[in-house]
Amino acid sequence: MANTAEFTAGHDAHDAHDHDHDHKPGFFARWFLSTNHKDIGTLYLIFAIFAGIIGGAISGVMRLELAEPGMQWLPAWVGGNIDASYHLWNSFITAHGLIMVFFMVMPAMIGGFGNWFVPIMIGAPDMAFPRMNNISFWLIIPAFLLLLGSMFVEGPAGFNGAGTGWTVYPTLSTSGHPGPAVDMAILSLHLAGASSILGAINFITTIFNMRAPGMTLHKMPLFVWSVLVTAFLLLLSLPVLAGAITMLLTDRNFGTTFFDPSGGGDPILYQHLFWFFGHPEVYIMILPGFGIISQVISTFSKKPAFGYLGMAYAMVAIGFIGFIVWAHHMYTVGLDVNTKMYFTAATMVIAVPTGIKIFSWIATMWGGSISFKTPMMWAIGFIIMFTLGGVTGVILSNAGVDTYMHDTYYVVAHFHYVLSLGAVFALFAGFYYWFGKMSGRAYNEVLGQLHFWVFFIGVNVLFFPMHYLGQDGMPRRIPDYPNAYASYNEVASIGYAIMAVGMVFFFVNVIWSLFAGKRVEGNYWGEGATTLEWTLSSPPPFHQFETLPTIK
Amino acid sequence: MGRTKIWAVAAALAVLPNLAFAQATDQGTTAPSVAPAVSAESIATEAATTPLPQLPGAPEVPAVVDGQGSTSDALDAAANPSGFPRAAPTPNVGQPDGGWNLQDQHTPIGEYGSWFNTVLLWLMAAVTLVVFALLAYAMWRYAAKRHPVASRTSHNTLIEIIWTVVPVLILVAIAVPSFRLLADQYDPPAPDLTIKAIGHQWYWEYEYPDYGGFTFDALMLSEQESAAQGSPRLLDTDNRVIVPAGAVVKVLVTSVDVLHSWAMPAFWVKMDAVPGRINETWFKVDRPGVYFGQCSELCGTKHAFMPIAIEVVEPEQFNAWVAAQEAENGSETPGPRFSRGADGKLVVTAAAAPAPAAPAAAAPAAVTPATPAAAPAAAPTAAE
Amino acid sequence: MSTRRATHRTGLLAAGVAVAMVGLAYASVPLYQLFCQVTGFGGTTMQASESDLPAKPLARTISVRFDANVTPGLPWSFEPAKTHETVRIGERRLAFYRATNHSDKPVTGTASFNVSPDTAGGYFVKIACFCFTEQTLQPGQTVDMPVTYFVDPAMMDDASARRIDEITLSYTFFPVDTPTASGQKAVKTAQAKPAPNQG
Ligand SMILES: [Cu+2]
Repeated sequence: MANTAEFTAGHDAHDAHDHDHDHKPGFFARWFLSTNHKDIGTLYLIFAIFAGIIGGAISGVMRLELAEPGMQWLPAWVGGNIDASYHLWNSFITAHGLIMVFFMVMPAMIGGFGNWFVPIMIGAPDMAFPRMNNISFWLIIPAFLLLLGSMFVEGPAGFNGAGTGWTVYPTLSTSGHPGPAVDMAILSLHLAGASSILGAINFITTIFNMRAPGMTLHKMPLFVWSVLVTAFLLLLSLPVLAGAITMLLTDRNFGTTFFDPSGGGDPILYQHLFWFFGHPEVYIMILPGFGIISQVISTFSKKPAFGYLGMAYAMVAIGFIGFIVWAHHMYTVGLDVNTKMYFTAATMVIAVPTGIKIFSWIATMWGGSISFKTPMMWAIGFIIMFTLGGVTGVILSNAGVDTYMHDTYYVVAHFHYVLSLGAVFALFAGFYYWFGKMSGRAYNEVLGQLHFWVFFIGVNVLFFPMHYLGQDGMPRRIPDYPNAYASYNEVASIGYAIMAVGMVFFFVNVIWSLFAGKRVEGNYWGEGATTLEWTLSSPPPFHQFETLPTIK
Repeated sequence: MGRTKIWAVAAALAVLPNLAFAQATDQGTTAPSVAPAVSAESIATEAATTPLPQLPGAPEVPAVVDGQGSTSDALDAAANPSGFPRAAPTPNVGQPDGGWNLQDQHTPIGEYGSWFNTVLLWLMAAVTLVVFALLAYAMWRYAAKRHPVASRTSHNTLIEIIWTVVPVLILVAIAVPSFRLLADQYDPPAPDLTIKAIGHQWYWEYEYPDYGGFTFDALMLSEQESAAQGSPRLLDTDNRVIVPAGAVVKVLVTSVDVLHSWAMPAFWVKMDAVPGRINETWFKVDRPGVYFGQCSELCGTKHAFMPIAIEVVEPEQFNAWVAAQEAENGSETPGPRFSRGADGKLVVTAAAAPAPAAPAAAAPAAVTPATPAAAPAAAPTAAE
Repeated sequence: MSTRRATHRTGLLAAGVAVAMVGLAYASVPLYQLFCQVTGFGGTTMQASESDLPAKPLARTISVRFDANVTPGLPWSFEPAKTHETVRIGERRLAFYRATNHSDKPVTGTASFNVSPDTAGGYFVKIACFCFTEQTLQPGQTVDMPVTYFVDPAMMDDASARRIDEITLSYTFFPVDTPTASGQKAVKTAQAKPAPNQG
């Protein structure tokens, strides 16, 4: 039975690339016309960090406003116009959601780590379509600019920006937003979607066709499996979003009535289409994280991943079930009882493969020889956060309970535990794990540990009280709230501040380590690190595997 | 307030956040401890009431009630005609109390839902504790300093089967009460009263179709107004929805512009308002009092400021209120009236209904005078 | 490691899947409509001809409530002749809604409709309805619009529908034409579509 630990590098893969003096293009050609998967991965990571700063800053303003009941801060940004400040709030929640989903988590997970390590882990010299890879990255820049720009053009009459939420439901996004802001946001999603679809095609082709001799599907590292499943989810779900928002666009501008009841359309159909995309989308964000966590836990436990095949097929199962549970986001829209029962049952089923993953990670640690380096701390943090977000997901899956919880802060707490904390913890785990591999220099362990602990405490102070707010009935997406919700909101805002301090350690660490970090060797994690990237130098040569490695 | 705040900080700072869960559920059990028999209880009440109020199948259609097009200026006083008292909200009832738990529930569905949520919370807390205990033990026992040589174990079929089957069993166990809650939500007793909530940007309009279809708008009170009335900020409205205690109230929900959602946490009610479509939900509240909810679907600029305020009153009070409404709107078809029977249960009296529903054959005759144009307009054969 | 050709084939195949999914998104519009019309999903009513009427209505009765809505852009009043009636299941009924055009121009409207609870959609059968076509009202004109319907006795065989006490039939009238300055009407593309449906 195969497992990741049995990988060994090809006999001469190491020798052939012991130096990185190999041929590199000039600065402009290297970074703007890049066809090198590692350079493109780096560009994606830089972009994701940049977008994350903006998306995170927006949520900082939101937490500042929510720290106390009443409107304290936003009105000053819009010349004291109270209604404009309410709309500014709506455009902030929209931008925060879209940025974090499409411009932070996805580019970092798939574009960044996927590009960097999928080809290396399967023993390929590069992606299957290097130039398309370049296009994927450069599409995301105008997409991001369009989204940011949409905040400065008219949305609803008299106010700037799209205040529709990331879901862009009609009819708020059609008749409710006559200005061009929503058009810009839709075009932004089109470009980001096209970028991701091209990326998905690239990953699928690469993984199916460019594996080194002996690298069978059942020998691929779990991170590659996770990206493969993710790529399929992207390929099947994003075109549906593209279609839905194109219909929205023509409804807005060309008189079609796909979602307009006055012309025989149905606004609820949009929700079905959106969530047919939207639910797989949440797995798109978390599955590569699963892969990263598997690699990290295996490395630092010095043990092969427990239940390799179960882990791989649990991801396939999660991906598949992800397509048949979408209406659990629509429990209050007016569904009949049998439909709700079906979606309740189907949604709860997801807990089974997810549970398999959680238990298998712990079983991987079991009997291991665990060292608690920064990446491992993030991975353990991930298990804690994801378990908490998972169990509230089981509660929310019950349509009867969702009647109460729907669109309250309980839902906000739930999806931030699985995404903001799950996906982001996985991203940090991967970042610290591979930082030396990508940069050639070691991160600072003390700063890394400080980053973890402060961030871990901060986000829990930030998001845990949101369960209480939700149980007490506080609706989502409101800039001002009844005074009874004041205490927990204040706590949550303090949590944001703690988290922000944690991020300072991150940025200091990155900058310091990039310039002054110790140089690291090829395999700086030692015997636990068994995948192919550890057979290469750090950073790997510009072109790796000119002679293909052979996998036993 | 101070107490809860300190407690929250302590809970959140605790490195194992599940402690908060455990504590939460611990207190939660003092709430309703058994699942109320929702259907049985409701049906029993129902049996004690007269059947559905019959409106006369009046041949004459009343002159266009200003229903759909009524203007709001005349209505500020409409729902609160002279002398009709506004009840003061009870602190921490029918509104958020700043605590960690669900709002206290005042409907049979809500009590069952709240009980089920508490059970789930316990169960999930237990699952979380098991996972965290395993994780903590592994971290302690297999730390490199205690366990320098890693084993190579990567399979154990038995344990893999166990951690697949046990969650399945837990989920099946959850599904039983979950489906029952759903089934109960969708199996209301016959309604005693029907009201209609119509979402607007950014207020709710209400219609009482059984009483000649009078309507009024419910706009959020300003900060000063709610303070003057002792109402919580952002939750009370100038006109409240008035319903009789003990009545099964069916709520039809729709919207005229964008999506809204009509939510009343203390009743376990939330239903989206969708333009071009009617949705329905229901509640039955025995305790007179004021209850608050908020629009729960993002609907634009003032989404946060279109609250829902319901005042549950004694049946006689409702009769007086609704009579004043009918008089004000010139309704010619008085709707049902309510009272309490000797056993304290609600009694519905169809108001002066002259005849049962008109037979079908009478209907066409009734309409002929009004409409020469009916035939071309109808063209029923032109189906798709 | 596969050949260049195999690589291209995989890439094209994947691209084909993406294109097909866009197609599926568009196909979902008529498919969803069809699905609703066949199953009654979302409270979509059924359509039948007189010959489909059950031979004998059941003794069991059910309440049917009539609900009417007008979009703010339409200068009409529109309401049911009566708010509700009790009918025998399987019995052919005729109900009326009354609409009045309060403007000084002819106005065309079209109605969306559904029944509630959603489960009743599959058992609420319309034989004829004003909602199947657009309605034009002359200035000041009042019309009574008929709907002929019955409640399908098959409802008694459906465990989730059997216990329904009351079905609400709801219409919402939307303007079809936007009158322009010249009095001409700019016809929306929507007009070309078949009967309005809200699945
Ligand atoms: Cu609203």
